Amino acid sequence: METRTPDRARTSILMLDDEPIVCKRLRPFFQKAGYEAEAYSSPLEALERVKARRFDVVITDLKMEGLDGLTFLEKVKVLHPDTDVIVITGFATMETARESFRKGVFDFVAKPFKLTEILDVVRRIEKERGLHP
Amino acid sequence: MNLPGLGDIFAGWRKKTPVPFSALFKKFKSILGRNNAILERMADMGDKLGGDYIFDRQYIISSCEELGDQVFKLISDLNLLSNRKNAALFSAFERIQHQINEELAGRRALSRTDHILPLAELTHDLADEGGNKMSSLGDIRNILGFTVPDGFVITVGAYFELMENAGLRRRAAEMTARLLSGDGQSLADESRAMREAILAMPLPRKLARSIEKAARDLAGEGRELLAVRSSAWGEDGESSYAGMYESVLGVAPGGVLAAFRQVLASLFCEQALEYRRHRSGATEEPAMAVGVMRMVPARVSGGLYTYAPIQEGSQSMVVSAAWGLGKPIVDGTAETDTFILRRDPPHLTTSTEICPKTTRLALIPSGGTRVEEVPPEESGAACLDTGQLTLLAETAMNLERFFKRPLDVEWAFTPDGALVVLQARPLSIRPRACSRDLDVAEAAKDAPVIFSGRGFPAMGGVASGPVHLVAPGGDLSGFPYGAILVTHHSSPRFARIMPKCRGVITEVGSATGHMATIARELRVPTIVGAAGAMSLLREGQTVTLDADHNVVYDGTVEALCRYELARQDVFEESWEYRTLKRVLKHISPLTLLDPKSDDFKPENSKTFHDITRWVHQRAVDTLISLAETHRGLREGVPKKLVSRLPLGLSIIDVEDGLAPVYGEELREQDILCQPLTTLLEGMAATGMWETHAVAVDMTSFMSSLTRTLSAHQSHPATMGRNLAVLSRQYLNLHLRLGYHFTVVDAYLGQNVNDNTIFFRFLGGVTEFSRRSRRAMLVAAILERHDFVVKVAGDMVTGRIKKHPTEAMLDRMFMLGALIGYTRQLDAKLDSDQAVQNHIDQFMQRLSPLERTRERPWKPEPRIELGPVS
Repeated sequence: METRTPDRARTSILMLDDEPIVCKRLRPFFQKAGYEAEAYSSPLEALERVKARRFDVVITDLKMEGLDGLTFLEKVKVLHPDTDVIVITGFATMETARESFRKGVFDFVAKPFKLTEILDVVRRIEKERGLHP
Repeated sequence: MNLPGLGDIFAGWRKKTPVPFSALFKKFKSILGRNNAILERMADMGDKLGGDYIFDRQYIISSCEELGDQVFKLISDLNLLSNRKNAALFSAFERIQHQINEELAGRRALSRTDHILPLAELTHDLADEGGNKMSSLGDIRNILGFTVPDGFVITVGAYFELMENAGLRRRAAEMTARLLSGDGQSLADESRAMREAILAMPLPRKLARSIEKAARDLAGEGRELLAVRSSAWGEDGESSYAGMYESVLGVAPGGVLAAFRQVLASLFCEQALEYRRHRSGATEEPAMAVGVMRMVPARVSGGLYTYAPIQEGSQSMVVSAAWGLGKPIVDGTAETDTFILRRDPPHLTTSTEICPKTTRLALIPSGGTRVEEVPPEESGAACLDTGQLTLLAETAMNLERFFKRPLDVEWAFTPDGALVVLQARPLSIRPRACSRDLDVAEAAKDAPVIFSGRGFPAMGGVASGPVHLVAPGGDLSGFPYGAILVTHHSSPRFARIMPKCRGVITEVGSATGHMATIARELRVPTIVGAAGAMSLLREGQTVTLDADHNVVYDGTVEALCRYELARQDVFEESWEYRTLKRVLKHISPLTLLDPKSDDFKPENSKTFHDITRWVHQRAVDTLISLAETHRGLREGVPKKLVSRLPLGLSIIDVEDGLAPVYGEELREQDILCQPLTTLLEGMAATGMWETHAVAVDMTSFMSSLTRTLSAHQSHPATMGRNLAVLSRQYLNLHLRLGYHFTVVDAYLGQNVNDNTIFFRFLGGVTEFSRRSRRAMLVAAILERHDFVVKVAGDMVTGRIKKHPTEAMLDRMFMLGALIGYTRQLDAKLDSDQAVQNHIDQFMQRLSPLERTRERPWKPEPRIELGPVS
C-alpha cells in the first residue's frame, strides 16, 4: 500500500432501485472495488442528486413507483449527456430495450445478476471513456 | 421390477393400439428433461444465497411461481406416461405450494411443531422455532463444532400456543396497537398488567410435565443446576434487545416452570415495550422461545470482544476474566483480569493487567448462586494462561468469521480445563475506522493485486491469511488454523478442514458443487475455477481474498477486512435472504430418500424435490415395466448380451444404442452406448475381475474370490435379472452380481450441463462390520473421484454431474472397475486396515489402466461455465 495516492480521482456511480436490497448490496460492493458510490431508493431524491452534481455512471432500475427508469434515464441524459446509464431490470422486453437504446442507455443488465457482471459493464464504460481504470 | 398396481396399467396399454416404445421413451426423456430443469432452478435459487448475486423480492416470487408451474407439469407428464392419475402427488404438490405462498406472504410457517427441541437439533434454520440466542448457540455447537452447555429450547410454537389458549395473544396485539397509537394507559401499567397475566396463565399439564421431565433429565436427576434464558425473535440480531429480557441462573429442576414464566413475562417488560414503541418498523409480533441449559461449574469465566474499542485502527481483541461464574463480569461489577490480544494469528498477547480478585460467584448445590471469598493465593494470580488465551482467541475469530460481525463472546473454562461458549452476540460498538468509506475505496484501489477475475465466487466475503497449498490427494491432517486453502480441484473431502480455513481458492470446480455448499453453510469465502492459482500463490504467502470481487491481493488489506466486519447490512440478515432461505426449505431438501422404504410414497413428499425425485423413480420403473410388456414391439424387446464376463445382461435399446442385430443375442461390439461400453471395459480390465490364474501376490485374493463367488453363485441363472435400458448417450443399469446390487444411471451427451452419473451400491448378506467396511471402501473411492457421496446403512450413493464428457467416461470406466473389484471383497474386509489397503490397491491398479486405455471418442468442445479471463 506504499503506492497510495489519495487524491487520485475515482469513477463516480449513482445507483437507483426502489427495492432497497439492491442498493444495500451494490453500494458497498462498488465502494470496496474502489469507486465513489451513492445509492437511492427514491427516484425523486436521486433526481435531485443528479441535478446537483454529475456522475460518471448511473445505474437505474426500470420499474419504480413515482418515476420510471426510462424517464429517469432521459432526464439524466439531458442534464449530463456524457453520463453513461446502465439499466437493470427483471422485466426485460424487446420493447423497453429498444426504447432505452434510443434514449441512449449504455447497456442492459437483467436481474438477478452477478456482481461481477455489473462491474464488467462499469469497467467497459471506464475503458471507452478513458476513465482511470 | 414388479410394482403393485402396474398390472392394471399394462392391461390399459394392451387394449389400445400399442404406443411405439420410442414414443414412450420420448415422454420419459421429457420427464427427465423437466426433472433436470427443476433441479437446476432449485440449484439456481440456492446459488443466490451464496452472495455473488444481486436479487430482489420479485426474483423470489417469480422463481417460486415458475418452479411450481414446472413441478405441476412434471406430475401431469407422469400421468401421461403411466396412464394413471396421481391424486396423492397432486395433493402433496398443493400442500407444499400453499406453504411457500404463506412464507412469501410473511406468515412464518414453523417447520417444527415440537414444543421442546434439543440444542443438538438447532441451527439458524430453526431460528423461528428456537429464537435468536438459542439458534446461534445451535450453530456454534452443530455447525462450528464448539462446546456449548447441554440444553434444550421451549419453542416459539409453545409460546404462541400458551398465549393463544390464555387469550393473551390478542390482548398483547391490542396493547401493542395502543402503545403505537399513543392511546391508553402508561407504559408501566400496561407492562405490569401483561406480565402479571403471563405469570398467572395456566400451563397445560402435558406441556408442564414435558418441560419438567426434560429439565430433570438435563440436570441428571437433580444433581446439577440449570440456567433458563430468553431467546426472543430479533434478540441479539439485527435489532438488539440485548440485556432487556430476563435470564434466571442456578435453577433447580423443580423451579424450571417458574423460571420459564418469568422469562416469558420479560418479553413485555417496560424497556422492551419502550424499545418497540420507538422502532416504527417493529410491527412484527414479538415472540419468545426459552432456552434451558445446564449451568457450567466454571472455574474461570468472562467475556471477549473480538474488536477492542481501544484505539482507531487497532487490530486487537480484549478478554476480561475472573474466577467463578461470569454474571458479575457481564454486569460489570467484578474485578477482572484484562488481556489485549492481536486479532491475527498466532494472537500474541500485547497487554496483561492482573487485578486482585477477592470474590467470586459460585453455585449453591441446592439451587441459586452465592458470592464467595477467593483464597488469597489465587486472588492475585492471572486466571488465564497463554494456552487458554490462544484457544479463546482462535475460537472467537472462528465465531466472528461465521457470524460476519465483531462479537461479544461469553465463555467459561470448566474445572477440567474445557472451553465452553456460553453466548455470542453482535458487538454493538463498530470499529470506528471502518465507517470511512473512502479508506476502503482507496485501499482496494491501490492494494497490489495478484490476480483477479479468474474463476467464480462460490461464497462471498473477505478473508486474509497465509496460503496453504494442497496437492491433489494431498494430506489434510496438518492443515494450519487460519490459512487459506489453495488447491487444484474442489472436492467434498475438504469439508473436514473447512472449519479451520479462512478462505478457499480452487483452480477447477463448480459453484454448485458439494464443497461450495459446505463453504456457504460455514460462510467461508470461496472462489472456484481460478485457473493457475496454485502457481501464482506461494506456500505461506499472506494474501487477502475478496470473493465478492473475485480478487486476490498480496498481503493483508486491513481496510477491506475491517469494512467487511463493519457492514451495517449483513446480507444473511436481509428480508430477501431470509425469505429465499425459508421458501427453499419447502423446495430443496430431499426427505424421500430410499425407494425401497415403505415411506417412499407420494403423500409423504414434503418438498418439491421430494415430488421430483418420486416422479423420476416412478418414471424409470414405469419405463422398464412397459418395455417388458411390449412384446409386440420389436424395438422394445430385451436382447441378451453375450459378454466376456458372465453378466447375464438383458438390454432394451430405446434409441440408437445398438447396431442393427437380428435375433435375440447381442455381442459387446454391437453396443453403441458409450457409457455402457466404457463401463464394461472397466469391469473387464486387468486386475479388476479376475476369473483365472493371476500373479503370485494375488493368491490370497483368489482364495477369497472362490469363496465369495462359487461356480454355483456366479452362474447367471441364479444372479437375478440384470437389465440395461440404453440409448446412445443414456444408460440405466440394474446389475446384481453375487451379493451386490448396483444401479448406474448415466446420461453423457453433447452438453456438459446435462452430463450426470448416478451410482448406487447395495451390499448383501454378511456380518455388519464387513458391510459397513464395504460401504466405507466404496464411498472413499467414489469421493476420490469427486462423487458426492452419501452412505445410509449399507447403501452407498454417489452422484457426479456437469463434468466434460471425456472426464465422465473416465468415471464410467472407474465404476466398471469398482463393480468388478468389489464383488470379490467381502470376505477380505476383516479389519479397517484391510479397507485402506484395498482402497490403495484399487487406486494403484486403476491408475495405469486409466493412463493407457484407449479413448475412442472424439473430445467434445469444452463448454465453459462462465467468464474466464
